[in-house]
Amino acid sequence: MAKQAKATKTSGGDNFTRWLVIGMVTLVVATGAIFSVISQKTKANESFVALNNFKVGAPVTASVDTANGSGITVNTGAAKTIDLWEDPQCPICNTFEGANGAYIEDLVRAKKANVVYHVLSFLGKESVTAANAAYCAADEGHFLDFHKALYLVQPALENSGFYTTQNLVKIGGYVGLTSQKFVDCVTKVSKLDQVKAAYDSMAKYNVTGTPTVFFNGKLWERKNGGFVLDEFSAAFEAS
Amino acid sequence: MRKLHNRFQPIITLVLRLLLGGVLLVAGGLKAFKPDESAGAVAAYKILPTNIAHLIGYALPWLEIAIGVLLIIGLSARLAAVVGTAVMLIFVVAIISVWARGILIDCGCFGGGGAVDPSKSAQVHRAYLLETLRDLGLAITGLYLYFFPYGLLSVEKPLQIIEEQ
Repeated sequence: MAKQAKATKTSGGDNFTRWLVIGMVTLVVATGAIFSVISQKTKANESFVALNNFKVGAPVTASVDTANGSGITVNTGAAKTIDLWEDPQCPICNTFEGANGAYIEDLVRAKKANVVYHVLSFLGKESVTAANAAYCAADEGHFLDFHKALYLVQPALENSGFYTTQNLVKIGGYVGLTSQKFVDCVTKVSKLDQVKAAYDSMAKYNVTGTPTVFFNGKLWERKNGGFVLDEFSAAFEAS
Repeated sequence: MRKLHNRFQPIITLVLRLLLGGVLLVAGGLKAFKPDESAGAVAAYKILPTNIAHLIGYALPWLEIAIGVLLIIGLSARLAAVVGTAVMLIFVVAIISVWARGILIDCGCFGGGGAVDPSKSAQVHRAYLLETLRDLGLAITGLYLYFFPYGLLSVEKPLQIIEEQ
């Protein structure tokens, strides 16, 4: 196949035009990318607005036990058990939390269920820092609030530089976690062992994705593609 | 055969330029103002480190728009066709890569993207096949435009036409 000849100087196909075109394309791409980075960063920082009127709940004692996969456990000994497997960065976990979070919190506060929050960290290193902070919050009795706040500010992108120890301390501040102990725990990533143990227990419980829910140790197989409170509460009542 | 091709080449080139350019322009336009989605879609392929993947997700829609516009108006069409072909081949490799690794994602080609529920695995695999074929077709389109970049309604004109005038 014979190639068509190059364009002539007068037709706009000379080297000057070519470089001009390459230059323009580069400019458009660079400007677009920079605009996107800035808009994404602004959006992440604006998400703190969601915590402005956060109502801090009463402290809830939580424990962590290797026997149940090092999840954050509340109401040990209650008649029914719910195991929740989630990653702080997982967007579908946020959808789950939006639909069922308040209901589960009520169950916990009314001591109707023994809930084990398996805070996983398989979505990258920002999940590790966020999960660590969740364990720190559990120590102070404010895991429920911190957990809720984490999802309220969850950025659209995973590992985009939002869940820094600095921002996690800031999130803690909104939910009454202001002690030096909490700040140190988050900054020094002191709960790494528990975070790792929770992650490692996925294989033992045959959990491959999030969110996964067990009622009394039995896997909940939802019928609805999305998350509907009615389906979840009915499944809990029936368990 | 060659004579026939020579006769229709200007119109073939125009149609293919509009096809490849149009697809790129639409694909880029749908993603350019949803940077989160686009960056997340690239990261979901799990080929590059997350921050580099995000950066590519931010830049790629604008590259698609620029190449699309160049092809449609016919300015530096040969260069644009080369870049367009390269981009399509990269897409093909990326899709085959997730396919081979058993990752289930929405390709995010025209917006959207990210992981897909395992229950939809059959649809996703069908989509992978169609997307691979589509992008291969568009790569071939780009290859033709590399050999015959000048046709009807092109801002740039080739040497022979200028001399004939």
